[in-house]
This record gives sequence, C-alpha cells and structure tokens, in this order.
Amino acid sequence: MSTTEQPTTPGFEVDPAAFRHLADAQVNVELDTGDMILNMGPQHPATHGTLRLVVRLDGERVIAADPVIGYMHRGYEKLTEFRTYPQVTTLINRIDWLSSFANEVPFVHAAEQLMEIEAPPRAQYIRTALTELSRIATFLLFLGEMGLQVGALTPAFYGFRDREHVLNLIEAATGGRFHPNFNRIGGLKDDLPWGWISETRNVMKIVLDACDVFEDLVVGNEIFQARTRSIGIIPGELGASYGVSGSNLRASGVDWDLRRDGAPYLAYPDLDFQVFTHPDGDSFSRYWVRLQETRESARMVLQLLDGMPAGPIMAKVPRIIKVPEGEAWVETENPLGQMGYYVVSKGATGPFRVKIRSASFSNVSILPWMLRGVYVPDVVTILASLYFILGDIDR
Amino acid sequence: MGLADSGLLQKPAAKPLTWLLNYSRKYSIWMFQWGLACCAIEMGAALASPRYDMMRLGVIPFPASPRQADLVVISGTVTDKMAPAIRRLYEQMPDPKYVISMGSCANCGGPYWDSYSVTKGIDQILPIDVYVPGCPPRPEALIEAVVMLQERIQNEGIGNDEMRKRWLGEPVNVG
Amino acid sequence: MADSATLTSRITDALGDAVVDQGEARGTLVIRVRPDAWRSSAEILRRTLGFDYLSFIAGIDWMPAPVVGLVEGDTSTPAQPSDMTFGVAGSAGRFQVFAHVQSTAQHAGVTVRTDVEEADPRVESWVSVYPGADWHERECWEMYGFVFEGHPSLRHLYLPSEFEGHPLRKDFPLLAREVKPWPGLTDVEPMPGGDDEAGEEGTA
Repeated sequence: MSTTEQPTTPGFEVDPAAFRHLADAQVNVELDTGDMILNMGPQHPATHGTLRLVVRLDGERVIAADPVIGYMHRGYEKLTEFRTYPQVTTLINRIDWLSSFANEVPFVHAAEQLMEIEAPPRAQYIRTALTELSRIATFLLFLGEMGLQVGALTPAFYGFRDREHVLNLIEAATGGRFHPNFNRIGGLKDDLPWGWISETRNVMKIVLDACDVFEDLVVGNEIFQARTRSIGIIPGELGASYGVSGSNLRASGVDWDLRRDGAPYLAYPDLDFQVFTHPDGDSFSRYWVRLQETRESARMVLQLLDGMPAGPIMAKVPRIIKVPEGEAWVETENPLGQMGYYVVSKGATGPFRVKIRSASFSNVSILPWMLRGVYVPDVVTILASLYFILGDIDR
Repeated sequence: MGLADSGLLQKPAAKPLTWLLNYSRKYSIWMFQWGLACCAIEMGAALASPRYDMMRLGVIPFPASPRQADLVVISGTVTDKMAPAIRRLYEQMPDPKYVISMGSCANCGGPYWDSYSVTKGIDQILPIDVYVPGCPPRPEALIEAVVMLQERIQNEGIGNDEMRKRWLGEPVNVG
Repeated sequence: MADSATLTSRITDALGDAVVDQGEARGTLVIRVRPDAWRSSAEILRRTLGFDYLSFIAGIDWMPAPVVGLVEGDTSTPAQPSDMTFGVAGSAGRFQVFAHVQSTAQHAGVTVRTDVEEADPRVESWVSVYPGADWHERECWEMYGFVFEGHPSLRHLYLPSEFEGHPLRKDFPLLAREVKPWPGLTDVEPMPGGDDEAGEEGTA
C-alpha cells in the first residue's frame, strides 16, 4: 500500500486511511447493492414469445431465475377429450408451430397402432420426407435467429430467406405453409404433385449451401464464439434427469436419437444417417449440433427421394374412425426434442385421454438451475440456444 | 390542444393539409415488434422475408417498446393470463394507434373456442380496426390488411370526425 | 433396444413387492405400484436400473365425462362409453398418476402408475429423485388437484393464480361447449364414387 500525504481541507474531517484505500488501484470497496428483481417478459424481444422470466439480480449476475409460463396455455389435453381423432390432428399441429408436420406424426402413429393398421410404404416415405423438411425449416430459422439474439442481424434474414424455399415445397405438397394438417389416420391426404421430387432435390442443394454459409458466417465468427462458448453448460446426466432432450442433450454428449434408438417409426429404419454429439454442452455446441443435423436432414431427404416406393398413400380405413380400446405411447424425435403422445382410448370416435409430452416443457424446466450465476446478456444467449417454442411449453 | 385534437384539421378548408398529413402517416407506420403464437411466424415472414417484404409499404417493425409504436398486430392466441398484459401494452401506446387482429385465434378464439383458458377474441378487450382471418393467414393477407388500414388512415378527418377521435383516444366506429 | 421380456423381468424383480399389477400398452410396458412405494420405486428405477431420463409425470381421471350438448346424429363430437373402465394395468379408483422414465444408455423405457385416493389425493413427490419432476408435479397439481408431498413449492404453473378448479378432472365442465354445442355438425352422406376413402368429420 502506498503512502500518500492527503491535504486536509479545513473543516472537513476525514480519515486519511480511508482515503488512501480509495486512492489505490486495488479497489476493495464493498459497494452496497441490494438485489434487484428484473422481469423479462411476457413481452420481450428476446424471449421467443410469451415467456416471462423473473430474475433476481446482483448487479449483472443472476442469483435466481423463475420462469413463469402459461401465457400460451390453450388447454390442449382437455380439448382433445372433446374432439374426434381427425379433429385432434387438426389441433395438434399447432403445438410446435414451426415444424407443424412433425407434431401430427406421433399421434397418428399411436392411433394407427391401436387400430392395428399400417400406412403404406409410400405414405411412410412421404411422411418422413415432410418431417425432415419441417426439421430443416425449423433449424434454418434457429440458425438465423440465434445469430440475431447474439447481436448479428444478417443471419436472421438468411434464415428466413432459405426457409421460404423449404416452405414452398411443403406448401406444394400439402397446401399450407405450416399447419398443413396433411396426415390422416392410415396415410396421407394426397399424393405428391408433379415435379415435386426434382424441385426438392434442387432445394436440398440450396439448403446444403446455406448451411455452409452459416458455418462461415456464424460459427467461424470470433464474436459469436466468445458469446457462446462455455455459456450455459448442461451436464449430460443432469440434463437427462430434467428431461432435456433432442439436440440439447446431444450437445451435452449423450448419444441418443429416437430416430435411430427408439421404437421404429416412419421410414427411418431404411435410412442411413449419422447422429451428432458434442462433448461441451454449452450454447455453442447446441448451435453446432443443430447445424450438422440440418445438413444431415438434407441428405436424408435426398435418400428418401431416391428410394421412394410407388403405391397407394392411404390404407383402408373406415369412414368413421373408431379406435379400439387400449393405450399407446409413441415418442418421436421432433426438431425440438422428444415429443410423445400417450393415448388412452376407450373405443369411441375420440380419445379418452391424451397426454402430450412436449420437448420444450422439459427443456425450459432446467432454466432455474442453469441461470444461476449467469450474466444478463448470457441469459439471452442461453434462451436462444435452448430453442423452445412457447406453444410446445404451454400446450 | 393541437390542430388534430381540436378538430381544426377536419374542416373542409384544411383538406389538403389533412390529406398530406395522412399520406405521410400512412406510409410511415411503426409497428410494435411483437407476436404471440404461430401467426407471429407469418408476421415475421411478412416483415423479414425478402419475398413478402412489408417494409416496402412503409411499415417498419423497429420498436420493441409500445411507447414508440403506432400499430400493434395481435398475432396469435390470447389467453386469459396474457390478456391483462396485452391491455396494459395497448394503453401504453400513444394516440393515434391502430390494432390489427391477425388470425382466427385473435379474432374469435379460433380452434380453441371451447378452451378454459383462451380469451375468445381479442376484441373483448381491445378495439380492433382490421380483422385478418386465417389460420394462419398468409403473409399476403396481412399485407392486404395493412393496405386496408392505410386506406382508412388516408380518409381520416376528410368528411368524418375520425381524426379528432383518434388523436384523443376516443372510440371510433369502424364500420 | 433391450428385449422386452428380459426388461420386464428385470424391472419387476428390482421393484419387488411394490408391484401391484402390470400391463402392456403399445410402445411401453406399464407397471402399477403401491401408492406408498411411489418414491421408492423411482429411486430403484433411477439408481439401480439406470433409468436416468424423466419423460413426464401426468395424471389420469378414469371417470367417464358427463355428456353435454350432444345432438342426435352428430358424429363430429365423440361420445365416450358411460361405464368406468380402467386401463391396461387396472386401477383402484378414479385417479391415477403415471410417469414414464427412460434410459439414455440402454434405449429402453417404462411407464409406472399408481393409484391416488379421490377424497384426499396425496402422492409422494419425485423431486428428490428426478429434479425435473418439479414442473411436472406442479402441472399435475394444477390440473388434477393431486398434492405432492415433499415438493418445494406447489403453485400454479399454467393458469393464473385466481383460477378456481382443476381443469383436467372430468367433472370440470367446458362451459363453451355447454353454452353452445359444436357448431360444425356435418351430415354423414356417402361420398360420390364409392366409400373407400376416409372422410373428414368436420374440421376444427
């Protein structure tokens, strides 16, 4: 500690030792800060919808965080009890509203299992192709929009632009950009239009190029790496006990993909694809895993187009669908994670109880644990990297 | 009291000035950057995607704060839990302000018409200027709604009492 | 994927006398345990058998819903059977809570179920075993009214705090349907050109 002679101003009694303390470069002063409660949302540009995060801050660091959800709770599980099976398929593709086709698949599969019918192979292939296309559409939006949350404006426009190509394809096949409601119990509503297959091949080339662009633009960017590396680490075992699934869990090193490891569904057993994991478990690895999965989905779509069988697209089903008594659990690898439907049927035209296991609900439940000790800007990065959809959380 | 609140701009003599004011207002709408549910994705596609670019109509979605916004598009399902927040955000917007209700959930409850937690239509708590049907409405439909709103703005105060009412925040008969 | 017969025997051996009944649902094995062994079964599943992934915890109400607003000849609203039957593993009463856990390493899963008393619905909480049970149990309490003993803070998750009632119980009425029945009543006319296509009974 240096000794400095402090000039004494007459009438101003001061303790020279205290002054010396402040004049030193090593500032040891305890600034008395109380905890601040910051309310992010339910309207906030960074919370991806109507999520409300009440955080208790000490300066810029989060001490405790409490997500308040339910601002998009529409009561799905109660509504399904009052609807027939085809009406339920209309409703459930609004759960995860970015990859709508993928939401219908497990429910329709569960109903088909209970009725003991199987959709014909062509329908399975087309369903798989549309599921992978919706996965690509979602992930392209994610790749662009995570850049936006971290502060880069350009990737967002690229994401939206490339997504339009994929939405074109989905619209050409199903009639709707999203919420296609194209699945029927037993198959699909319609066959593919002329020229769809060659158009899809072109679009997959565009998607693969777009992934390369994202790799150069975002992944290789120093600022992005500084903002996302070691931010929001989820240990694999803890993540599993919270129910974190999908790319989030794979980015923590857990090698589990329901398309390869779960009960066989759709055309995935016929496909040859790679599952990506990353050992780090931070926000960067979640971005990286989804980027690789986008590429892999594009390659899977190309494989599906090459191997598309001919045939009918609808199995023989009665006019009024009555599903026999029983219970079924179908889980699928949706873009957001593991989505499952537990369907309890009592032989009526509508289900008795449908438990919708949505991926984002469990992904977001780890936030109180994960946000402790994190800086406020990193909260935004973590929310962006977890990639949840409010409709999926709240149902 | 300004020119618009006192109704002076509605006099026939002030018509060129009113017309010019409305013309500049309709092509510089600042839209509150906020979406609720699936319709928000279509709204985002209408604004940010180069194909349905809505910014060429002058609608800029810059403000993330309601204090600087003219227009709010309620895009998505309104739940009973969210409704007070929406009302508070609407009240924070300065007059004159416009509301577009996008999608069938915001119009009337939509596919969740029988749910226990959904508000059956945002017009139960806010005054709406344009309703856009659809689930979700295509970006072109939203653009048409904005064009209709712009026509409405252009005709404010020219032969009717709307401008004064809007500036003062009084209810307007959207007929 | 583990062979389901060996999986079944491993689980039932490990759970021992907690198992009351078991059944087969499509896609999963369902095991019903004693209500006082709910938490200890979770411990065994996680620590001994290695089911480290919690998929969900939910409730189910087996009472048939009272039918309201059903118009004669309306096929667009389902009519559930009016007798109370229980699922694949049976039940002691109206309420049950069920959970699905999986193993990320062995790629296997199991559904466990237990009965909950109707008069005083109390269930042991799984939070000490699976931290992710926190939110699932809050949802279950909110929707059914089951009180989870040992849960740190059982409060509303989805619904506003002033909400009264437990929505997923079958006797919770959907008032909109009682005031106005489903407006999409459709005629069931045969389609032109044959009957071998599945038709749509009105869309939502």
